[in-house]
Amino acid sequence: MSDRSLTVAIASGKGGTGKSCVAASLMVSIPGLLAADADVEEPNLSILLGAEPYASSLVETPWPVIDSGKCDRCGECVRACRFGALYMFGKAFPSPNDLCHGCGVCSMVCPRDAISETGRPVGEIRLCRAGEMTLFEGRLKVGMPNPIPVINATLDAALAEGRDLVIDCPPGTSCPMVAAVREADMVVLVTEPTPFGIADLDLALQVITDLKKPSVVVVNRADLGGSNIDALAEKYGTRVAARLPFSRGVAESYARGKPPASVDDQWKEAMIAIWETAKKTAGR
Amino acid sequence: MKTKEVTIVSGKGGTGKTSITAALAALSPLGIVLCDADVDAPDLEILLHPEPEGDFPFMGMQTAGVDTDRCTGCGKCEDVCRFGAIKVTGGKARVDKTFCEGCSACALVCPVKCIAMEDTRQGTWFRGMTEHGPMVHARLNPGGENSGMLVQLVRKVAKEVAESSGAKMILTDGPPGIACPAISAITGADAALIVTEPTMSGRHDMLRIADLCRRFGTSAAVVLNKADLSSEGSRKIEEACRENGLPLLASIPFILDVVHAVSQARIPSKELATHLEPIWRYLQGM
Ligand code: SF4
Ligand code: SF4
Ligand code: SF4
Ligand code: SF4
Repeated sequence: MSDRSLTVAIASGKGGTGKSCVAASLMVSIPGLLAADADVEEPNLSILLGAEPYASSLVETPWPVIDSGKCDRCGECVRACRFGALYMFGKAFPSPNDLCHGCGVCSMVCPRDAISETGRPVGEIRLCRAGEMTLFEGRLKVGMPNPIPVINATLDAALAEGRDLVIDCPPGTSCPMVAAVREADMVVLVTEPTPFGIADLDLALQVITDLKKPSVVVVNRADLGGSNIDALAEKYGTRVAARLPFSRGVAESYARGKPPASVDDQWKEAMIAIWETAKKTAGR
Repeated sequence: MKTKEVTIVSGKGGTGKTSITAALAALSPLGIVLCDADVDAPDLEILLHPEPEGDFPFMGMQTAGVDTDRCTGCGKCEDVCRFGAIKVTGGKARVDKTFCEGCSACALVCPVKCIAMEDTRQGTWFRGMTEHGPMVHARLNPGGENSGMLVQLVRKVAKEVAESSGAKMILTDGPPGIACPAISAITGADAALIVTEPTMSGRHDMLRIADLCRRFGTSAAVVLNKADLSSEGSRKIEEACRENGLPLLASIPFILDVVHAVSQARIPSKELATHLEPIWRYLQGM
């Protein structure tokens, strides 16, 4: 037994399977957990927890600034930028655009040391509270293309608390999801028993298996669809930990912004069982 | 008439975007081309069963590759990489391709020049033919990068297919979210249809994607799905549409037979026909 804190990530190959419902239900079923909303494009956990923001901090990425006193318009920086983010029009000095990834290559290559860096806000971390519960919510600024810095900053802030943590991950199987599950002791994959659910769970399990993360599967709306999730889970050496039927009651409470476990005992029991599994998986 | 492109988006997933896209295709009064730009969870083919007409590799940005024989393990590359994508383990530098943005900073600093930028396959794109028209779709490799570039690619191919086949409209099933792939899917489209649901999160996400459309100059309209699951939620969506000047084209109830159709990998066109009529009227009037 160790008293190391436990981190559980809630993910899904596609959106809308009930990922945030599971995350919020864990929060209201297990006392004392901290939450992080890493679905920074569409953060919904605060809505479900009824959590209000009380503090926030900006997430910034580096942004090049060209000193026109030093720049001789040689164009080295424009040629070195692999994102097409620097342009030099007519007689103007080079200037960066929205495609900038803040990689720092332009300032590395400038022979005249004319490029310095400042910060550009790409999102924020909001600290939210509902009763005893605390949530770190990452929010990507609308119009910003890259969610990864906001995901990383949100997780770093939440992990620094050193408490048992539930992470609501971005949907899908590309780099944002991988970034969000990186520190998890166990990943809960939420799916539904439809052909869509199966196809997307298959992709998600490939990624989670590649990352060598222990996982369990939660089948939401288990009575709608009829596809066989067990066989797929078995193929990847994982298992279905809970099956939650469709219920109009749950759907209506979700619509009003209430997590299923606060109105449905079956959800609550499933959450307690999942948390126990996570503890065992992490050797606690 | 110039070919028009409509991108169907949702902000959050699971609102029924793909089922509605498929049903719009099946009920189309015009010649159409289908484009699945949800390259991370490409589900449109499950309902449309395209006859394959070819698959092609998608090469994203180049990524860093280390010649480990020559690497001295000095760690300069790790220090300079701002994406945590290159790390020295066991005395050799290794690249995590999922996080390599391909900026080449590591290659520039390596004192023994043992890092080269190399082509990296990030996914596959496909052409196919469905009962309702040609289809272009793609799949990003799990854990892949550059989904925005792949979205641009399938849209470009869909446009070429539409022009050569004389199709009047492209229906693009867009990705969830508001970041790079979503931006790539709406930029330059003639209209965005936002499929939402009568929940607080549905409303929140609808407003964020509508904001994105405004910033990128794409006109947006809303389709409210599963409207009867919450009358209060539906009222709030109607209100939000009014306040933000978003036309609300249709309110579709929760129809169990739609779920059953999708479960059998069948397009729920019969079930949705009457509800989708006003949407086609709007699209034709564009
Ligand atoms: S590399 Fe430096 S000097 Fe050359 S154009 Fe860029 S900023 Fe100016
Ligand atoms: S920081 Fe990187 S991406 Fe941004 S302009 Fe400079 S070289 Fe281009
Ligand atoms: S900078 Fe070059 S030599 Fe040094 S660890 Fe990196 S790859 Fe190896
Ligand atoms: S190319 Fe850029 S992102 Fe990729 S490993 Fe090198 S420094 Fe890091």
